[in-house]
Amino acid sequence: MKNFKNILLLFTFSIAMLSCSDSDDAPVANDVTLKFLNTFGDETIVLGDATSSTATENTSSEGQVHHFAEVKYVISNIRLIQVDGTEIPYNINDLDNGATVVNLSNPSSLNYVLNTIPSGEYNQIKFGLGVRSNLNTLDQVSFPSFYALAGENDTEMHWEWGTGYRFTKIEGFYDTDDKTLSIHTGSTVEGTIDDESTYTQGVDAYREIALDLPTNATVGSSAPTITIKADFDMLLSGATNTIILGEGNATPSIHTAANMVLFVDNLGGNGTSDTTGMFSIESVEN
Amino acid sequence: MKAFKFLIGYIGFLLLVSCSTDNPVTIPFENPEVILSIPENFPEVNNAFYANAPTQYGVSLGKKLFFDKRFSTDNTISCASCHIPSNAFADNKPQAIGVEGRIGLRNVPPIQNLAFMRFYNWDGSKLELENQPLVPIITHEEMDSSILEVMGKLKEDSEIVEMFSKAFGDDEITPYRIYASLAQYEYTLISSNSVYDQVIRNDGVSFTESEAQGYETFQQKCASCHSTELFTDQSYRNIGFPINTDSNEAGRARVTGNMEDYMSFRVPSLRNVEFTAPYGSFGQFATLKDVLDYFDEGVLFSENLDDTFKSNGNRIALSDAEKENLIAFMKTLSDSKFVQD
Ligand code: HEC
Ligand code: HEC
Repeated sequence: MKNFKNILLLFTFSIAMLSCSDSDDAPVANDVTLKFLNTFGDETIVLGDATSSTATENTSSEGQVHHFAEVKYVISNIRLIQVDGTEIPYNINDLDNGATVVNLSNPSSLNYVLNTIPSGEYNQIKFGLGVRSNLNTLDQVSFPSFYALAGENDTEMHWEWGTGYRFTKIEGFYDTDDKTLSIHTGSTVEGTIDDESTYTQGVDAYREIALDLPTNATVGSSAPTITIKADFDMLLSGATNTIILGEGNATPSIHTAANMVLFVDNLGGNGTSDTTGMFSIESVEN
Repeated sequence: MKAFKFLIGYIGFLLLVSCSTDNPVTIPFENPEVILSIPENFPEVNNAFYANAPTQYGVSLGKKLFFDKRFSTDNTISCASCHIPSNAFADNKPQAIGVEGRIGLRNVPPIQNLAFMRFYNWDGSKLELENQPLVPIITHEEMDSSILEVMGKLKEDSEIVEMFSKAFGDDEITPYRIYASLAQYEYTLISSNSVYDQVIRNDGVSFTESEAQGYETFQQKCASCHSTELFTDQSYRNIGFPINTDSNEAGRARVTGNMEDYMSFRVPSLRNVEFTAPYGSFGQFATLKDVLDYFDEGVLFSENLDDTFKSNGNRIALSDAEKENLIAFMKTLSDSKFVQD
């Protein structure tokens, strides 16, 4: 089946190539680079341990200071939308070729290149923070590369007991006495894969993000770079929830579904009134 | 579903026929379903069971795999290292011990009568037994391996490969076949031959005086939760046991995200409880007496403490005689044949 699709795709491509190859020499497709800029407000985050003097310090709207030692998150289900509304999905059912872990301590992970995007004018991007439930099964046989990438010792994005991926993993320190904060999110949905009607329990921490591009990305003669800003100030001071770490509001250690959604909604939006969460488009370079 | 399987079989057969010209004819494999003896007073088996009903060779493969240490990264730990048959497939450690002596989050539960359960694990995180084995295989504190690593090791073993052929019709080793055969074996682990069962079935056995009184107290004070022939109603409740402060623990709320489920656990079956000490989700209590003393002295209060306790001063009052009799009764749930097999 896969093969057949590939052949069909190849065939379609070759026809497309042939049909426009003599009019001009603009390529039929080009790369698009997604560049992730991780900030507190306008300041790019520098990580650091408890006593670090170089780590970027942030203060929440409730006056709680905090900084991070580790920040990772999974991006998948990427779709680019053309000005006429045509949606170009990018390997959305293939985690090996369509999903990535952004890891702030690994500079090369901050750029994710989408290969052979059809030429055209694009004015919107959609992607997921986390992994859709039907793919979120730690299926090492189908997606060995992504499984390995997420599972590396210095990445630790397997949520073992939930047999799924961690969607975000944030380690850091808060308050003036640098108490530990540790926030992990992931889905705990259970049921038969591909049959949502059987999802009878658990929390879906996957979030759909939709961002309009301030200027069109022109794919073809150029290979645009779209810079996506992830503003982690929203973690505690988000559009949906204002969170105070400690007793009463939210525990600083989120390793289970309990209390997790507060953070998920801030980072990835609540799925209804907020579909951007902490993300925005910083720039489009053609 | 059945019909669908049949169709696949049929197409497979057609393929065989159509290309059999120069191949030797493959003999259709025979693998009869295992007939389980299920007592009449037990609840219905769950739906997943029907989709993966135990077969003769499926079960023998599953059993073989259950005892196979190659499931752990350093070949030191099998499923049975934690789920020890003579302990009703539990063990005697407070929390599970995995590779390199790593200590896990929770106490090892017995593996018994799982064909009748609708939820697995202390928090009910899994709904189908076939989805469960990957958890210990990959968990850092348990076997710390991966399914490809396990498959790689099994492929090298011609005896195992042969067993896959017998169980599934060809020698391909797939994750699902591994999980399904393990589950099939587990489905056959039915404990229903305790003294209690023999008394209930009128098999010419009767309770001692103390056991009989314990049974009466049990019905009054315990059976609202430890109900049915499984001795669990499969609900989740916070009964104020001492709390595991590990940040990975939230009880049922770990799965549901609902704070009303915080530190609630699946009511455990009490069958073979004599063999599964220590007790509680992380082995808080060394003995059955300790559990009963704790009930009597009073449990931890919390917003979502179960009403049975809340409306009784956060305790279940028990006299010394009641405790003794309750323990005598709980020991009638021991199935000596089950722990020998
Ligand atoms: C390191 C010890 C350890 C190993 C090895 C281990 N388990 Fe477990 N098992 C546990 C613990 C602890 C739990 C409870 C987990 C929880 O509640 O989160 C459990 C739970 C279970 C359950 C759920 C039982 C119930 O009553 O709901 C099943 C089934 C099970 N294990 C099967 C297996 C199989 C099959 C293997 C081998 C592939 C295995 N286990 C390996 C420790 C272990
Ligand atoms: C309100 C429901 C409820 C009632 C009533 C109740 N239990 Fe339980 N019982 C539970 C739950 C839930 C657990 C697991 C709690 C935990 O680990 O935090 C449990 C655990 C136990 C355990 C430990 C089992 C193990 O494998 O770790 C024993 C023994 C036990 N109960 C015996 C009794 C007896 C005897 C009574 C009556 C005197 C009783 N229970 C009354 C719900 C109940």
